Amino acid sequence: MDDKKTKAGDWRSYQRVLLPPVKDLHKLDVYEKHEGYKALREVLTTDKWNPTSVTNEVKKSGLKGRGGAGFPTGLKWSFMPPVDPNIPRFLCCNGDESEPGTFKDRQLMEYNPHLVFEGMLIASYAMSIKTGYLYIRGEFADWITLMEEELEKAYAKGYVGKNIMGSGYSCDIVIHKGAGAYICGEESSLMSSLEGQRAYPRVKPPFPAQKGIWGYPTTINNVETLACAPLIINKGGEWFSKIGAPSHPGPVLYGISGHVNRPGVFEYPTGMLITDLINEVAGGMRGGKKLKALIPGGSSTPILRADMIEGVTMDADSLREAGSMMGTSGMLIMDEDVDIVSWLRRITHFYHHESCGQCTPCREGTGWLENIVTRLDEGQGQLRDLDILLDLCTQMEGRTVCALADAAAWPVRYTIDRFRSEFEAKCSTETVPSGGVLETA
Amino acid sequence: MGDFIKHPFVDMPDRNPEQVIPNDQLVFTSEEKKQIQTWVSHYPTADGAVMRALWLAQEKFSFLPPEVIKLVAAEIGIPYANAYGVATFYTQYFKEKKGKHVLDVCTCFSCQLCGGYDMLHYIENKLGVHKGETTKDGLFTIQEAECLGACGSAPMLQITNGPFVHNLNKDKVDALLDALREGKVPAFTSVTLPQDEDEMGGNRRTDVSSVESYIVPPISETVS
Amino acid sequence: MPNITVDNETLEFDGRPRLLQLCLETGVDLPHFCYHPAMSAPANCRQCLVEVGTPQINRETGKPNLDENGQPIIQFMPKLQTSCSMDASDGMVVRTHKSSELVKRAQKDNLEFLLINHPLDCPICDQAGHCPLQNQTYKHGPEGSRFEFRKVSKPKQIDLGPRVVLDGERCINCTRCIRFTDEISESHQLTIIERGVRNYPMTPPGVEFDEPYSMNVIDICPVGALTSKDSRFRARTWEMSKTASISTVNARGSNCYYWVKDNKIVEITPRTNMDVNEYWLADEDRLDYRIFNDNRPLGPTISGADVNWDAAYKAVADCLKGAKGDRVQFLGSAFATVEDNYLLSKLATAVGASTPMYLTHTEAGRGDTWLRTDDRTPNSQGCERLGFQPANRSALRSLIQSGGLDVLYVLEDDPVASGLCSAEDLAGVKVVLHYYNSTNQTLPAADVAIPAATAVETVGTLVNDQGHAQRLRPAKSIAGVNRTLSMEIGKCRADRHGTPFDKWYDESNLINCQPGWVSIPRIASDLNIEMNYKGPRNIMAELSSANDAFAGATYEAMGEFGVRLSEIGVTA
Repeated sequence: MDDKKTKAGDWRSYQRVLLPPVKDLHKLDVYEKHEGYKALREVLTTDKWNPTSVTNEVKKSGLKGRGGAGFPTGLKWSFMPPVDPNIPRFLCCNGDESEPGTFKDRQLMEYNPHLVFEGMLIASYAMSIKTGYLYIRGEFADWITLMEEELEKAYAKGYVGKNIMGSGYSCDIVIHKGAGAYICGEESSLMSSLEGQRAYPRVKPPFPAQKGIWGYPTTINNVETLACAPLIINKGGEWFSKIGAPSHPGPVLYGISGHVNRPGVFEYPTGMLITDLINEVAGGMRGGKKLKALIPGGSSTPILRADMIEGVTMDADSLREAGSMMGTSGMLIMDEDVDIVSWLRRITHFYHHESCGQCTPCREGTGWLENIVTRLDEGQGQLRDLDILLDLCTQMEGRTVCALADAAAWPVRYTIDRFRSEFEAKCSTETVPSGGVLETA
Repeated sequence: MGDFIKHPFVDMPDRNPEQVIPNDQLVFTSEEKKQIQTWVSHYPTADGAVMRALWLAQEKFSFLPPEVIKLVAAEIGIPYANAYGVATFYTQYFKEKKGKHVLDVCTCFSCQLCGGYDMLHYIENKLGVHKGETTKDGLFTIQEAECLGACGSAPMLQITNGPFVHNLNKDKVDALLDALREGKVPAFTSVTLPQDEDEMGGNRRTDVSSVESYIVPPISETVS
Repeated sequence: MPNITVDNETLEFDGRPRLLQLCLETGVDLPHFCYHPAMSAPANCRQCLVEVGTPQINRETGKPNLDENGQPIIQFMPKLQTSCSMDASDGMVVRTHKSSELVKRAQKDNLEFLLINHPLDCPICDQAGHCPLQNQTYKHGPEGSRFEFRKVSKPKQIDLGPRVVLDGERCINCTRCIRFTDEISESHQLTIIERGVRNYPMTPPGVEFDEPYSMNVIDICPVGALTSKDSRFRARTWEMSKTASISTVNARGSNCYYWVKDNKIVEITPRTNMDVNEYWLADEDRLDYRIFNDNRPLGPTISGADVNWDAAYKAVADCLKGAKGDRVQFLGSAFATVEDNYLLSKLATAVGASTPMYLTHTEAGRGDTWLRTDDRTPNSQGCERLGFQPANRSALRSLIQSGGLDVLYVLEDDPVASGLCSAEDLAGVKVVLHYYNSTNQTLPAADVAIPAATAVETVGTLVNDQGHAQRLRPAKSIAGVNRTLSMEIGKCRADRHGTPFDKWYDESNLINCQPGWVSIPRIASDLNIEMNYKGPRNIMAELSSANDAFAGATYEAMGEFGVRLSEIGVTA
């Protein structure tokens, strides 16, 4: 154990804040007893707070989005245009959690729903928003039911709705149920979906803050991101900024899956050593096998080989240096038995299946990637296929409306880059003439 | 996976299908109408309510034949073509009749590496149908699902857009199929946070009857 | 004036044009598919990518930071941008494929993607020859294909509606057709269905794509995915000549192109005129062209017997010579040009008859608030402006039936078919008939029948229901030699296909007919009436200076897009 390298400090004695150990915290009365809606009350009813000071506190906290892109949250809030009473403004809370390997928001919504609501209300107040939509993927039907029941209770108690706590501030929360489309996790696609359109992403600029849902100023944040807001109000931005990695602070929910002894969702500070997360938090590799590779934050973040993670911590800077990204902190741990080509084949299939079909490079490129990786996986690939794959990645990256094409290309690029010999080993030794069609059953 | 890339055929929907739901049943009750109008009131324009209304219709009619999509569009006052475009975009809306229980077996990413395909193939063999097909008795439809957001409890499946079944193994699948045959759909299952087990001795929720832990995932016998 | 720099050339602009539009208007040829100036820009085809930089602005002064040479420092955006979705802004610097290897590569890459699932069936595709995908692939695309897999099969030869056929495989998902039905026609009959590479446009089940403007999606489709059920497989685009003219099936006079092969009209497509029809053309304007091709007369006749033109003109003159002016009724025509009606009125005056009347042809309910009108004629306003009154049908019928007329002179109309009177009613009247088709029901009653040039065979002016005077141009030749027509055909066809001067010239299907501005002066001359014009251009020049209702409507002024006449004289 080498605690010197971790930025998470004494993480073994870390006290959870997003999911504190409180029985039945998801129930409103329990939540109330544990500082529930205290932050909201303070924000709405004391002179200490106004929308600007709330935003500034969030800026001070250094909170970065937990949905994948890691954009500074306070800064995002400050992009909203000045209030015009004739123009509605909206908040969208993104609970479409569908990045493969990510399953933390589901647990947060189940075990601490009111923290999410309270976070939405604080964010809405900070941006003078009167309606917040909570978009939850349709597959989470049971959690939607739960959230709706709890939301109703919050309405009944006057935490949501008209004239909240007699402050004169009113804000509604609407839960929107998705219906099965990965792309809806992309913020502009989520907006299209909310509007009842086919969930096609939209060109930016204009950004959501200028022209969001129904053309009105809109801010979109991830569930976990907004859940941090009440904590920041209660304990201060400075407190928050001192948790974990200084450049990427705060508590974070690590969703660990794959070949470990103890998978699950864990709350720890950012900046945890990956080796700590695997070997201590998640109980080590299953069956004593060797680690082969891992994905640090959802399927689109670049794969890291076992030999690349020494001293790497779970924060944007360290992961960037190591050659990957923080993403959603949904980690997939792979042991030595994994056939990396087969695994990549399934990823390419996923992106092919989930491309919305709007932009040319993504619509056509994702399928082409899957075609070639499948051919490689079935032992019929040629060495030149690897070059074509990398070329196709270049042709897709940064050329589409949203980042799905990038997300589809990165796993291919980095997996080939980091496991090239495994791909070469699977290539056919026979020469197939160009123009041949994949014919295997 | 990968069927489509070897046989990339996109079929056309029947453009003039026979109506499945008779006209006298093709109506929303006043309560349903009221519910839909409540949803409509939640959005600046009625379009926003289309997804919820389609969900309601699917629960009512078990799937979404064209006449139902048309009914939904009329109820919220949006063009039929828009509602149809939306319905075909999302995978959870059933455009054709499915089995009584739709088993969405996740094989994506973590589930792939933790035996998702083992489970899919096991269920296929057991029920004698392939993914995408429905058993002759109309009880089960098997589908291969993309990531369902329960990667820590892989392999897993979802039953008819409803409850998740975590930590699958063959015995569990056997029991599940038997229960479903008897019409017993499993209750919602809460998956305990490992830290709760350490600090609170188990699941934090006292109001759920079905609780599971994250466990060591099984070894995948087939990767694909 | 604000300006941008594109490939080191400075372009000035007004307002906030979209970058792509500005480039196209100033001659910078950027490839694109999904962009259409009349519709929203989803930027989905990704073909119009360019490098875009803007001046780095000093936050304190609000002015651009300057480099050591005093030039603004330009910050380029990290990614290529779609020019269709960008507004041009002052000082913007743009690099297109002409100056940027990155852009050139991106355009090539994108075309490679577009083509992997696009069938290589150009040899049988109606779009070939005027296909943006084909053209841009030749200009910017890759030379071969690296795609070694099956292309996606999608539904083909699908009748989306009565007039539009879909080939799903050719579709590149630009969504122009969907946006047309959502944003322009608002029929909402189409949607993209499915997702990803399975996407294609379709009607929802049970719905026909039958809106009255459905065929516009054929024109805006940048590939051959949507074709015309009527005209597909009938001619390759390079076998046809196209002539810029106007449609004549209703009173709007939508601007169009007539496509001609072997002297037959094959297809009619819209021509942009922002003052009249913008980019669009109603389906009805496209499909009534058979009257130009079929059932055309073989030549002039006297009482049904074939005669030569001189004999026919003399017979008309003879009819008029013996008649008293108040027992001769001239019927002008809302189908005929202003010029021909004007000459007719001169003839009427010369023989002492009253000002011609004209027959109205309206069908209540045919019109809408867009490009279709209840009025089924192209020039009733032209007639009105000439001072012609709509015929009082019952009064005229009584006059005919009571033997009050000796001569009925009909210019390019069909009084019997229009219900004015029966052919028997005309037994005692000498009827002179200028007509287009042998199906004309007044023909059996005609003493002298003069085949008239139709709207696609003549030169002339029509005034639409909004008072917009526009020129007709000859799209196809007629039998015989007419220098004015030949000259106009040569002048108004950039490609010169179908003219006597090019290799596609064909002598088949030439109709033995004459424009009114040929036949009426010949008749006048047989009556020793002075009616000397060098051609319709001079007729219009005279009329535009002599009659306030036509002020300004010279051929030069009308040009390609017509002129809006002042409101006076509408109800003269």
